[in-house]
Amino acid sequence: MSDSPLLTGEHVSKSYGALEVVKNVSIEVAPAEFVCLVGKSGSGKTTLLALLSGMEQPTSGRVTLDDTDLTGSSENDLALIRREKVGFIFQSFHLIPTLSAWENVALPLFPLKMAHQERRSRAVALLTRMDMGRRLEHLPAALSGGEKQRVAIARALVNRPRIVFADEPTGNLDSTTGADIMDILKGLQDEAGVAMLMVTHDHELAGRADRIVRMQDGELGA
Amino acid sequence: MNLHYLVKELYHRKTRTTIAALGLAAGICLLIVINALAMAYRQAAKAPLKDFGADVIVQRSGDVPRELSGAVFPCSAVTITRAEVERIRRMPGVREMGVAVLLWVFDARRMAIVLGIEDQGNVGPAILRRYVSQGRFWEAGRPEVLVETAYARQFGIKPGDRIPLGGETYAVAGLVDASRVPKVATANIYLPLAQAQRIASASTNLRTVSPFAPSDVNLLFITADQDKTARLTSSLAALLGPKAAISTPESFLKSLGTLFALSDKFALTVSFIVIIITVLITFKSMAANVSERRSEIGILKAVGWTNRQAAMQITAESVCQCLIGAAVGLLAAFWAVEALGLVTINIPIPWEMSPSPHFLPGGGDPVFQTLRLPIRISAGLAVSAVVLGLVVGGLTAGLLARHIARIKPSEVLGYE
Repeated sequence: MSDSPLLTGEHVSKSYGALEVVKNVSIEVAPAEFVCLVGKSGSGKTTLLALLSGMEQPTSGRVTLDDTDLTGSSENDLALIRREKVGFIFQSFHLIPTLSAWENVALPLFPLKMAHQERRSRAVALLTRMDMGRRLEHLPAALSGGEKQRVAIARALVNRPRIVFADEPTGNLDSTTGADIMDILKGLQDEAGVAMLMVTHDHELAGRADRIVRMQDGELGA
Repeated sequence: MNLHYLVKELYHRKTRTTIAALGLAAGICLLIVINALAMAYRQAAKAPLKDFGADVIVQRSGDVPRELSGAVFPCSAVTITRAEVERIRRMPGVREMGVAVLLWVFDARRMAIVLGIEDQGNVGPAILRRYVSQGRFWEAGRPEVLVETAYARQFGIKPGDRIPLGGETYAVAGLVDASRVPKVATANIYLPLAQAQRIASASTNLRTVSPFAPSDVNLLFITADQDKTARLTSSLAALLGPKAAISTPESFLKSLGTLFALSDKFALTVSFIVIIITVLITFKSMAANVSERRSEIGILKAVGWTNRQAAMQITAESVCQCLIGAAVGLLAAFWAVEALGLVTINIPIPWEMSPSPHFLPGGGDPVFQTLRLPIRISAGLAVSAVVLGLVVGGLTAGLLARHIARIKPSEVLGYE
């Protein structure tokens, strides 16, 4: 792990009207580091994830990803940064229902000038690595929750990101499947050297991260 | 824009694609059919005149003959003087003109509707030479006539016979098939114009109702410049006075009494309403489509699609739906037009244009020209409707997509 942080949040705050959801948070994630953000529901952890990933702009403070200042960047610039450097995994999978498993994985590659076959082979390679080789042409409706999440993880990795943001990736899964997904994420971190910032309220899963950051009432705890 | 994704969306969202496409298809179909109908009725209204190659038929009505003996004018067609004919010939918009003299000739044994026509010409009853079914057309300068088939059968007349008319005897050169002759020119006996003028000018009974010189006529057939027909009609009415009877495609259209004939602007008004309704339906359907896909757009943005790329994708899908709608609408319109083409319509011939005397059996019956509705879809109409549909759909979807593509992923992906 390098000493220079990949992701930095400095004095980041976010308010919705009078309600301050994230309060003066400073955080760093190193390259290939697995950080778990834990806290009770409503503690502001998902909002912090959105702020650090550039999905939301902070009310105050500064977010830097791989030496690029996300704060104040335009929507289009943020989209391009996400395309090149960031992967996302959502609790509700957020797959496109009309696209097959491999097509969902290749979705971030669609806007790129790339041959159809290359897109497919990259997506297929990732899915095969996740034991989804036999489900390539299935639509999301025909997949189980665990399978959907594997597709979502493959999608988050297809653009070869520097960091993956995962929002409760096991939240909609049973404990066995959740543990499998965690194995996959941990393996990817180790093999591909991808940094992970994962929100979870499952302390057992969080225990497998390199570092746990606790959040309470919009502030980072000890 | 990713074609693969587009095709998948259209294929797997069959209901959404079908609803959006059908809304537009209905509008395009209606637009085409309404305009094709309007054009068909306009075309049909030209039929009574078209056979003569004329755009305008001019008559002047007069008084009823005091006595039905010898040669008389029908009260619907009295003298139009040579001077008036020459002034009309010089009117702006007149391209070509044909003249005729229509008479009723009574003698002790029978009554005959007689039409004096020019030997040559492309306008007016001169074209009747095409309808000779037996014998031949008369030779110029010889006292010969043509007799209508049914009349000839009734009185046992054959080509080569000689028949008396207006105090003279004429050789029957041939017979004319009346079923093929335009209704407004149905007569029993056709003869050279000069002969008819001579019979008319020699008739005392006729001249007491309407003075007639040997070079006068009582029917005019005019080919006019289309854009000047209305102005020409006004000029003719001004010259010939209040008793002028001027028949044009517009007057026949009005006599048809259809909605399309009520106003020249009917089709335009209905088309405008259809366009507005189609725009609203398309807008609603596109808005529903785009709104349904908010979270999908959020996913696209989250995985690195720019606003423009997301908007282009949604717009391209909508344009494809519009293309499908346009194709279906066009196809439906072709089917509808094929079906409407089987409809027969009757164009009423005004009584003043009917040459038959009302006092003869069946003479007072309404006269119609019956024809199949000449409906067809012109390439211009089809292309205009399809382009309009695509522009409406494309613009609507483009605006909506551009608006919705601005949403931030965090707004739709369910954050705390």
